[in-house]
Amino acid sequence: MLVVLSLSIISLDLNSRTHGITSGVKSVANSVFSPLRGAVDDVIDPIGDFFAGAVHYGALQSENQKLAATVGQLRQEQAEKGFEQSQLRNVMALQNLPFLNALSTVTAQTQEIYTSNFTMTITIDKGRADGVDVGMPVVGAGGLVGQVIQSFHHTAVVQLITDGQSKVGVSFGQGMSLTGTVDGQGPDSSMTADLIAPHAALTKGEKMYTSSLDAAAFPPGIPVARVKSFHSSAGASQETVNVTPIANLTQLAYVDVVVWEPPA
Amino acid sequence: MSARATLRLALVVLLLLVLQSTVMLSIRFEGIHPDIVWLLPITAALLAGPETGAIVGFWSGLAFDLVLPTPFGLSALVGSLLGFSMGVATAAVDSRAVWLRPVAAVVGSVAADMLFAVLGAIFGQQQMVQIDFFSLFLVVAVSSALLVLPVNRLVRWALSTEGNRRSLVSASSTESGRW
Repeated sequence: MLVVLSLSIISLDLNSRTHGITSGVKSVANSVFSPLRGAVDDVIDPIGDFFAGAVHYGALQSENQKLAATVGQLRQEQAEKGFEQSQLRNVMALQNLPFLNALSTVTAQTQEIYTSNFTMTITIDKGRADGVDVGMPVVGAGGLVGQVIQSFHHTAVVQLITDGQSKVGVSFGQGMSLTGTVDGQGPDSSMTADLIAPHAALTKGEKMYTSSLDAAAFPPGIPVARVKSFHSSAGASQETVNVTPIANLTQLAYVDVVVWEPPA
Repeated sequence: MSARATLRLALVVLLLLVLQSTVMLSIRFEGIHPDIVWLLPITAALLAGPETGAIVGFWSGLAFDLVLPTPFGLSALVGSLLGFSMGVATAAVDSRAVWLRPVAAVVGSVAADMLFAVLGAIFGQQQMVQIDFFSLFLVVAVSSALLVLPVNRLVRWALSTEGNRRSLVSASSTESGRW
């Protein structure tokens, strides 16, 4: 009987018409459970940080110096690119395409990373009450981080682009004329770019951006991945392309949720 | 199961849920964290038999499903199957054996994680079988072997009002040999 009951609950969850019921139950449970979890985290985090800091003191000092240098470089680049960005924004506005800088964002703090060993997800401290909804892109650490897959009252679950279920339409190449799909392959695995024609004009290190095609699941122009390696197999219908995420997915303490919903 | 045992079990499940969501998530090896959810049906089955194991597995799994991004009900399904099969498999084993709990914890947790991944893939979550199973099994096996005794103590306290318990009576008379 318990097995039948479990299967019935799973069916309710997987059926798009009844998913709202299980989602509602999860939402209520998360609203109740989050403060409790937060309180325990507030107690144990300083203890963990103390030991981590004591063990990795040298590495942290070195990392701080590197970060300070990187901030300096970025400030310089930002000053240099101000004019170009302004021009690009104008062109995108003319084409009636949403430019990421023009879209509002909600900054969120990451509460949990990889809550399950079987999914690449993070839990953030912003939810429906803060304007965060299912389908919204999440950016940070230099590029696209993922997409909101569950939104509760004050928390949300973000599926990272490295998750095996993640698929992101991308544009790349000269004039962004080539398109493909970047697929997650799970933890510690290189991502792949699919649906790219054999012998496409690719270069190692080339950046891929979210596609501007109609009905895309993301607004165009967000950096997604960088080409790591590629080759064409004889007789293959597509190029084999390995890519790495541009966003540093190990630095996700804070992320920005882009207030943009995919077209229905 | 009596109302008192149910209430105590609910408290134990909540405690383990908080521990899993906080402490366990901060302990990682190769990105994998310990999974203590399976220890509840395993210890309940060892203490009170397959039926109680299945019931504890279902409700504890359902509670953990509330905070997991995986399909709702999947942990409940695996938990109830695990609790029942663990109770049946160890029915003929002397419950006083020192090795029983650690071995049951390791075998049960690894089997449960494998079943969880395969069922998840069958239900459309293909990414659940795209993980490093060697690291997962290693972390889950070691952590389960280490944590089974404290969890067993908690579950034994929760079920101590049960009338149909299997090994609780013998446990109290031979406690020093088993803890």
